Amino acid sequence: MTLNPWLHGLVYGLPVLLGVMGVGALASWWERKFSARMQNRIGVDVFGPFGVLQPFADALKMLQKEDLVPRGADKTMFFIAPAFPVVLCVVLLGVVPFAGYWDDTGTWAPAILISNLDIGILWVLSVSGLMVFPLWMAGWASNNKYALLAAMRTVAQGVSYEIPMVLAALVPVIVAGDLSIARMVAWQATHGWMVFSLPVVGFLAFVLFYLASLAEANRIPFDIPEAESELVAGVIVEYTGIKSGLFILTEYLHTFIASALATAMFFGGGHMPFLAGLPAIAQIVLSATAMLVKTSMLFVSIYWIRWSWYRFRSDQLMELCWYYLVPGGLVLVACTAVSVSLGWV
Amino acid sequence: MLATVAVVVIAVVLIATAVAVVVSDNLVHSVFWLAAMLITTALLYVMLEAPFLAAIQVMLYTGGVITMMLFGVMLTQRDPGSRVPSASEAPGWAAPVALGLGATLLVAIWTTPELAALTPTPSGDAQKIGHMFLDRYLIAFEALSVLLLAGMIGAIVLARKGDA
Repeated sequence: MTLNPWLHGLVYGLPVLLGVMGVGALASWWERKFSARMQNRIGVDVFGPFGVLQPFADALKMLQKEDLVPRGADKTMFFIAPAFPVVLCVVLLGVVPFAGYWDDTGTWAPAILISNLDIGILWVLSVSGLMVFPLWMAGWASNNKYALLAAMRTVAQGVSYEIPMVLAALVPVIVAGDLSIARMVAWQATHGWMVFSLPVVGFLAFVLFYLASLAEANRIPFDIPEAESELVAGVIVEYTGIKSGLFILTEYLHTFIASALATAMFFGGGHMPFLAGLPAIAQIVLSATAMLVKTSMLFVSIYWIRWSWYRFRSDQLMELCWYYLVPGGLVLVACTAVSVSLGWV
Repeated sequence: MLATVAVVVIAVVLIATAVAVVVSDNLVHSVFWLAAMLITTALLYVMLEAPFLAAIQVMLYTGGVITMMLFGVMLTQRDPGSRVPSASEAPGWAAPVALGLGATLLVAIWTTPELAALTPTPSGDAQKIGHMFLDRYLIAFEALSVLLLAGMIGAIVLARKGDA
């Protein structure tokens, strides 16, 4: 079924967009409850059952706050910077397949997918590479030493950790022989999930991708750009109200999308066993659930690490990247290429 | 028709951002305009049905531009506002030279019939480019990487001169 492109964008894009915004809101409530449980507290519990409506109260509060612009700030850049991270996150979503089903010919077809770009993974890597721009913009335009330092660290970290990320992403590309994420999932549906079908190397590539994603999203143990004990709140220190809210929303979205991508690339995306033979609509519902469960597990693990670990020092962070992750990634890519060319996979 | 309009719009934005890079007095603004220009160039590649090239363009130049920005901030006085005068010292000479160069290029493009006969074909896919790199143009490709490596080593040597 081919729809008019505009209609296609609306029909597929809107639910995915709304769903992810909902996830963003829910995640902020969930993280507060989760961290509270880890610290033997109750957490938010006033607004709504178990405090679940807290994000809406927060958003309302942020909208009412006074919008401060520091004196000496670069006003235009300060103003436009908060819009970009959310836009980039949403743009990243376009190529993530959220569900699939076995079609009549016995191949795995994507079901909830905004666009099946041929260059899917390159799209992801180039857009997430752009993510440092708005942070740099915000940090520089704030005219604040903490924000500027944070911006410098963000750029240094983002540019460095992009390399292991690209190397890790190359492994499924070589194995599946395709750059499209939807077709990577299709490959995994017939040949087994990437972490298993390529013993050890597949799993190590996943670990590498996961670590690099943590660093790209500035999460502990790689949150040196916003290390709150040193830099207050990093690049968002001068932002008030809904502008800082947008940056905070981006952090949840970025981690969620990174989890979804890792799921699609290494854990078979929406694929799960025992689907073949069911009616298509049941398959789609089940596989969307499978995707959500797998993504949530990765997502939870990111916050689990966040609330139980400490951060690396700045130099340790760079050392880990350049001395261990980059060479390790090269070795993984070489191993993958050899196994594929010898026909082991 | 729609494609032609899109290409014209992209071309106008491309030229405007390119001019902004040169005209802007603020180094950081300049670099952001440069980033905008490079991304617009990627859009042009998309219009020419070469999405692979477009993605590579964004991916590679982002890193390059953002690194340049760091240098820009670290090497210039930030206060007040890292202003660098960007106006030419002799606009009377520079303008005719630039116009002459532009005119020469335009004449060259218009008088080359092969260029007019070129039409975008959806062949810029990754596989084809990969085969070209590792097959027909292997030597040129490798020579380029060696050249870049030499440049990189040279930069490291220059940067480390102090603490040897």
